[in-house]
Amino acid sequence: MSKACVHLIDGRNMTPPEPLERTLQALACLSAEFELTLLLYCRPQPLFDILQQSGYVWTESIASDGTHTIVIRHHSHECRG
Amino acid sequence: MVPLRFFLTAPWFGVLAGLLLVWSGEDAFSSRWSLPLLAITHLLTTGFMLQVICGALLQFIPVVIGSKVPYSPWLSIFIQPLLALSALVLTGGFAAGSPRLLVIAASGFVLGIGIFAGVVILALWPRCQARLIQWVVRCSLISLVVTIMFGTMLAASLFRGTHAALNPLISIHLIWGLAGWALLLLVGVSWYVIPMFQLTPAYPVWFKQGFLGISLVALGCVSFGWAAHATAWTAGGESALLIIAALHALLTLWLQARRRRKINDSTLLFFRFAMVCLLTFALAGILAMRFPALMDRPDFAIGMGMLALVGVFTSVIIGMLYKILPFLGWLHLRLLNAPISEVPNMKGMLAETAMRRQLHLHLIAFALLFAGLWLPWLVRPAGLMLAISYTLLSWNLVSVMRYYKAFRNRLKETIPIRTDIKHGE
Repeated sequence: MSKACVHLIDGRNMTPPEPLERTLQALACLSAEFELTLLLYCRPQPLFDILQQSGYVWTESIASDGTHTIVIRHHSHECRG
Repeated sequence: MVPLRFFLTAPWFGVLAGLLLVWSGEDAFSSRWSLPLLAITHLLTTGFMLQVICGALLQFIPVVIGSKVPYSPWLSIFIQPLLALSALVLTGGFAAGSPRLLVIAASGFVLGIGIFAGVVILALWPRCQARLIQWVVRCSLISLVVTIMFGTMLAASLFRGTHAALNPLISIHLIWGLAGWALLLLVGVSWYVIPMFQLTPAYPVWFKQGFLGISLVALGCVSFGWAAHATAWTAGGESALLIIAALHALLTLWLQARRRRKINDSTLLFFRFAMVCLLTFALAGILAMRFPALMDRPDFAIGMGMLALVGVFTSVIIGMLYKILPFLGWLHLRLLNAPISEVPNMKGMLAETAMRRQLHLHLIAFALLFAGLWLPWLVRPAGLMLAISYTLLSWNLVSVMRYYKAFRNRLKETIPIRTDIKHGE
């Protein structure tokens, strides 16, 4: 796996679509056995549309401070609830 | 890209409004009821604002609520031209003083907005996490229908020549349009987009719930006051609307001052200017309620209209367009399944300097319009500046699309791209 690949993106202080751009970059080199975690203050519906089309699965949870945590992995390692 | 037709048509109504002001000159500002001024007002509301808001809703609802708007390509193909044509006929009706044209335009709006609101309310039916914004959009659309209903009654009254009770009808038409449709939607969308795009803290939940509740009660009071000729109810409702509008403006400015990253892009500046205008409008409105004779002065009444339309609503809408359209272009390039390295950065789709230049023209036009209230020789230059500002807006929006198409064609030549993207996606 490349050193440039990240597994956590904290997009809470980024303006759209920077979190989306970084997520797609990270997914491009995400190995099947790894997960990518994305932190945001909103629900990224356009990302979900892209993930669905591209064969990824994800889980989503919301913390009390409004942080949405989205954990993404390849479909072969299904984790979507 | 379904909303594109709405977005690219809208600025030309602003250009027309400016040119109409150049053509009519200082006569337009002779009275708040002057026919050229009514035509210009409706070019901005039923032309520019309605076009962008309808297009933005088709884009906003799937993103926020997660459900697609059914038949949205059909709404774009049939309803968009119907609404645009109706706005032009309405303008012609005012400019020519023809009640017959006003009735024809009103019929077009009843049909177009009736279908549009019905379809969008249907799309808003499923429960989702963003329930408050769901209610705001529903209530705003219902307010738009009510506004058009009162507008149709006005056109019918003029057509029949029964002018007796037009003033109260105009007031209620105006309040439902400005407060119920435009302000409610502006505020509701702000709760979502300002924290997201400007990285501010979220609006407090109590404020959001209170705003929606008070708005609806206040609109109910104003309507009851109108129907029962009870002026105290009307005044109470109007005061409540002005106070919550001022509170929203103050809260937004306070949140913007506390944003987590101090990025001063054009959208932030458009919103900030709009909030200052909203606050000024609310204070002027409260002043007019204390001293009703002020509204008999053309400069005061027209100035209020300028603050609301040019200062608040069109400023926010332009600021939002500068976020929506580059994002749409970027997203659709992504949906072509192109490698991320091939897709340009969203910021590269429209230069900040181009947006900033148009913002400056918008502010100059606003200043000239205001100065024109006391210096009549400035009215024509103000109209010209307004037309130039909207022309530049159109140029900026078209340049985003040209950039998108150029990249799309380049991608087509170099990599196999998806061909199953439907027009409605």
